[in-house]
Amino acid sequence: MSTSVAAASEQYDYDIIKKFSVMAIVWAVVGMSVGVYIASELAWPFLNFDSPYISFGRFRPVHTSAVIFGFGGSALFATSYYVVQRTCQARLWAPGLATFTFWGWQAIIVLAAVSYVLGYSQGREYAEMEWPIDILIELVWVSYLAVFVGTIMQRKQPHIYVANWFYLGFILATALLHTFNNIAVPVDLFSMKSYSLFSGTQDAMTQWWYGHNSVGFFLTAAFLGMMYYFVPKHAGRPVYSYRLSIVHFWALCFMYMWVGTHHLHWTALPDWASTLGATFSIMLLLPSWGGMINGIMTLSGAWDKLRTDPIMRFMIVALSFYGMSTFEGPLMSLKDVNALSHYTDWTVGHVHSGALGWVAMISFGSLYHMVPRLWKTEMYSIRLINAHFWLATIGVLLYITAMWISGITQGLMWRAFDDFGNLQYSFIESVEAMHPFYAMRAIGGMFFLTGMCLMAINVYVTIRRGVRAATVDRVVVAAA
Amino acid sequence: MFKNLKHEILETNTGWLVVATMFAISIGGLVEISPLFFIKDTLEDVPGVRPYTPLESRGRDIYLREGCYTCHSQMVRPFRDEQLRYGHYSLAAESKYDHPFQWGSKRTGPDLARVGGKYSNEWHVQHLLRPKSVVPESVMPNYPWLLTTPLDVSDVGARMRALRTTGVPYSANQEEYRRNVEKFGEQVARTLHIPDAQKNLVAQAQDGNYDGDRSSVSEMDALVAYLQVLGTMVDFSKIKPEDLVKYR
Amino acid sequence: MQWLADPANSKPLGLLILFVTFCLIVLWVYGGKKRGRRLEEHKNIPFLDDDDMKDKPNG
Repeated sequence: MSTSVAAASEQYDYDIIKKFSVMAIVWAVVGMSVGVYIASELAWPFLNFDSPYISFGRFRPVHTSAVIFGFGGSALFATSYYVVQRTCQARLWAPGLATFTFWGWQAIIVLAAVSYVLGYSQGREYAEMEWPIDILIELVWVSYLAVFVGTIMQRKQPHIYVANWFYLGFILATALLHTFNNIAVPVDLFSMKSYSLFSGTQDAMTQWWYGHNSVGFFLTAAFLGMMYYFVPKHAGRPVYSYRLSIVHFWALCFMYMWVGTHHLHWTALPDWASTLGATFSIMLLLPSWGGMINGIMTLSGAWDKLRTDPIMRFMIVALSFYGMSTFEGPLMSLKDVNALSHYTDWTVGHVHSGALGWVAMISFGSLYHMVPRLWKTEMYSIRLINAHFWLATIGVLLYITAMWISGITQGLMWRAFDDFGNLQYSFIESVEAMHPFYAMRAIGGMFFLTGMCLMAINVYVTIRRGVRAATVDRVVVAAA
Repeated sequence: MFKNLKHEILETNTGWLVVATMFAISIGGLVEISPLFFIKDTLEDVPGVRPYTPLESRGRDIYLREGCYTCHSQMVRPFRDEQLRYGHYSLAAESKYDHPFQWGSKRTGPDLARVGGKYSNEWHVQHLLRPKSVVPESVMPNYPWLLTTPLDVSDVGARMRALRTTGVPYSANQEEYRRNVEKFGEQVARTLHIPDAQKNLVAQAQDGNYDGDRSSVSEMDALVAYLQVLGTMVDFSKIKPEDLVKYR
Repeated sequence: MQWLADPANSKPLGLLILFVTFCLIVLWVYGGKKRGRRLEEHKNIPFLDDDDMKDKPNG
């Protein structure tokens, strides 16, 4: 191997990135397996097995936390540490603190999952972790911010590359959201139980301000940071328009924070708040599509690579799903559409077209790009990546199609009247009508999970080869 | 005019980038959330709304523990079909003592905001033990452990004290008790008195006989007591339509 | 203050301020050839680090 290899590995701190990358894949497999299981519970309820620990209500937060915070979070830690070092040409600041973020974050996911199955939950979606775990998250997050900002401050470039802005926006927003959404009063110091400080309408508003912005910053802004580095880097072409990326950033940061109230249309929340949320949701379409176009135009001119390079395909499909779900979102935030779609599976489908189609796909692309560079080898099998790509794409399509049909069917059945002005269907008839779609959704999930397992195998073999080659290298060097 | 105002300051100075980003992301939340804490109409008092009794409150804890909110909402929207299916649309005041709120986001099962009083206690027990036995097409899990697990009543006082800290008017002393008598009447005020919490809890469980077994207090007692009070606090026949506009 | 507290006034005012800010940002970003060229130069940053493996199409 050349001398530049040694130089690069000294120049950047790769150890922490390797750890997070591996855990991202582990949590993806775990989280998606749980997802497939709970989806199957809805289709075939006997799978609850009368057990408190795996009954749907307790198991669902395990799925959401494992995929969002375990898989998504670890992928973001890994890529952000990679991107910030390489675009600032500086080593990580405070590697000890960075190591703490790794062990702390993994402990959080494990503790959260164990506490949910044992029945400890704050009862707030995507923020079910009880207060001791929340405090640990706060500590890890502040350390993360310190490492990230510290590294930027050591940069050799005067300019801070835009990907880092998106990561920074995500870190700051998540700190803000997490802190204010988890203000709670514990029963006592040795009790895992706490009660939210806010109640009713205020609590709903705070929770959905958190809930939607977790989507906006954790699952969008941060992954856009990923997109702004890995898409140009992998295509070997600079981003289409840097100026567009600046407008994209400020518009996104500003607007996302307003839209949470569209989760509370037609509820007891004051009308002005939900109207404001809907308005900003529509306006958000512009920066979202600006970003998508920026990404796709970066790839244009490298279209020929699409035929040979499945990693590139992951990226382009991710961007397409980003465009699709940021169009669907504003549509669903319209009050009249929302009246039909809210409380139905349509919402679930929308979330997954974003989470599987955009978040997971762009992460797969980035990880496939990054893993061989971290371990200084090549991916074990391109054909497996290709298989993963098709399984994932078919899986998402099955999933969201099932949820579209079932969601709209539910919405229509609930509001159907017969000729005498009575409700046409009882609630349970709508449940019955969902069965085939719940089965179809579970199967879509299985496709996606199977692809994920292929990735895990592929990455595992790649790493093992990389490690072996490195050992041989060292022996050769020592012998010489 | 803005020649000196250079974006380079942001691009090249981490501190300013952090500050500007914080500014951009803070406005939305501030504008939407903070008014809710000051505007009166989100906090309008509606006659009948009261904090949960110790038993109901413990039932609510179980509702949270089992993650019922992942499939059931508690928010009836102002549509004709929901009015027919569930009842009067929900008022903000009806969840004013809900820490946390449980409006939910998904109806895999029906809305529960007004389930109280719709079914008998026996129906609820049977349904929670084995939903398919009363609704054959149901996809809800069985909850057999609720009936066999005795309710942990040891920390009910501590739980109510924590809720009191968040602002729920449970009374910890005589002065607060008197205030509750004025506000809710004596009968309700007695159930909100923290020093008597355990006694009140057991008494309600035995009187109500929710799980059909008076000899012990099970988790089933608590959960059914909670379900049976949902949406029953406000008597809509006594509210004038013009007041509803105000309460909403 | 009283004038601002009335939503009939504060809403259009807020809209106006936000819209102007947005226009200013867009004008700033796209106005000026020199600034444009300088900004666009930054897009090459990801390619400045010496990559340890030449970017092969194989990830």
